[in-house]
Amino acid sequence: MIEDRNDELATLHALGLLEGDELARFEKALAGDPALRKHVEELRTAAASLAHLAPAAHPPQALKDRILATVGRKRPAEPVRGRVLPFPNLIPWAVAACLAVSALWSGRLYLGQRSENALIREQQKLADLELRGVRDRMEAVQIVRQRELDDAERRLTDAGRRNSDSLREMAGLQKQVAEARLKFADACVRADDAEQQIAQLAHKLKDEGDLAQFKIATLASMLGNSPQAVAVAVWNPMKQQGMLKVSKLAMPASDKDYELWAIDPQYASPVCCGLVSMDPSTGEAHVIFTAHRPINGVAKFAISLENKGGMPEPHGPIVMLSE
Amino acid sequence: MTPAGETQSPEERGAEDARLLRRIAGGEQAAMAELYERFSRPLYSTALHILKDASEAQDIVHDVFVALWEKASVFAVERGSAFSWAVTLTRNRSIDRLRSRRRRSELLEQSTPSDLGYIETASGADPDDPVAQREHARLVREAVAKLPREQQDALQLAFFGGLTQQEIAQRLSEPLGTVKARIRRGLGKLREILSDRV
Repeated sequence: MIEDRNDELATLHALGLLEGDELARFEKALAGDPALRKHVEELRTAAASLAHLAPAAHPPQALKDRILATVGRKRPAEPVRGRVLPFPNLIPWAVAACLAVSALWSGRLYLGQRSENALIREQQKLADLELRGVRDRMEAVQIVRQRELDDAERRLTDAGRRNSDSLREMAGLQKQVAEARLKFADACVRADDAEQQIAQLAHKLKDEGDLAQFKIATLASMLGNSPQAVAVAVWNPMKQQGMLKVSKLAMPASDKDYELWAIDPQYASPVCCGLVSMDPSTGEAHVIFTAHRPINGVAKFAISLENKGGMPEPHGPIVMLSE
Repeated sequence: MTPAGETQSPEERGAEDARLLRRIAGGEQAAMAELYERFSRPLYSTALHILKDASEAQDIVHDVFVALWEKASVFAVERGSAFSWAVTLTRNRSIDRLRSRRRRSELLEQSTPSDLGYIETASGADPDDPVAQREHARLVREAVAKLPREQQDALQLAFFGGLTQQEIAQRLSEPLGTVKARIRRGLGKLREILSDRV
């Protein structure tokens, strides 16, 4: 009867799950317990049957050829044969057995070394596979990088071409802008000219409008000594300025001056418009005058003969008067 | 394929395997070819299921058959069947390689079966197997299917996972003692069922 603890250890041992001290202790117990060894073998057989749970897979035919080729180059280990001998003959055989055990032990060492060599070869093979994998991955990365580089160069070339096109287009646009600026400057000049013409026209129209409001008056002589004397007065009410032209009026005495007056109904007395200086050579006078007070409307113009230098209000005789 | 293998009982098959090993120990390559036909598929399937790499699985199976060739003379039928011996060699070598190449194996686990160079059948049954071998495989699968689900998972991880006891417990998120008990009960029951059937 196997104890529960040993049954558990036997199970774990059959599945190769014992390690370290636990494994060492169990193997020691196993060596001295044939029943336990048998139990482990039965469990190992049961465990081996679990191989049938693996999904079925077919090894390639080449594997069989490879195995047969390998074993064809090797000889199987010689079987150990024995027979029963009489006791006296056992002594030399015991010596031989010791030698055989020694040889077997050496053989185990040799096989162990060979296993290690095989393991190293396997590891070398795995390392080669890994190296080949790394090389393949590096090659793949290199190919990908080369493709990315080619793509980037192609994009750069396209961008350069597009840039040249853009520069050409920009030059054309700059030329168009320069032409537009010239046209704009020309248009500005023409606009200024037009503005000036409009201003001139407006001014002309204004003058023409102002002219309609001008007061033009003809002054007739009131004296017997200059019956042919005539004078014309033009008054611009906007500028509060006027012009007087006198002809054929006798020169005043040396201590006298002619003085022009404007008669505005809003004032009780005529408004002084300045002296009228006669040209003795021609007997004419051409005077630009202003009124000494603001004039709203001129009813008449009059020229009086006053003392030299004139008077603020008329005192002398009226020599000329408008109608 | 050996026609005789299709009509043998499990006991006859075990005896025939032992006879083949004796012939191999005598250097008969024909016996080796015959043993290959009997063992290669389950051994290759086991190695491939553990390693998930067809090339590595082939290397393992190659080395196992070479070891059988070299050590056939030391095989003792009273210490277990030849098939059990071959499976143990295959599993141990596969797990050794899996542990040494853990990182590589983890990467390959993410591959699909077709990437691995073989086609898995959903049930694991191979219609090309000899009838007796196929029948034995069916018995094993039925026996395992009768175990509680948690015992099945523990046994599968213990046999194919290449994990330590602690790693199995971590993977199953269970205490170590619980996992050991599940493995013990599962394998013990499997042994009983198979011995009754066989």
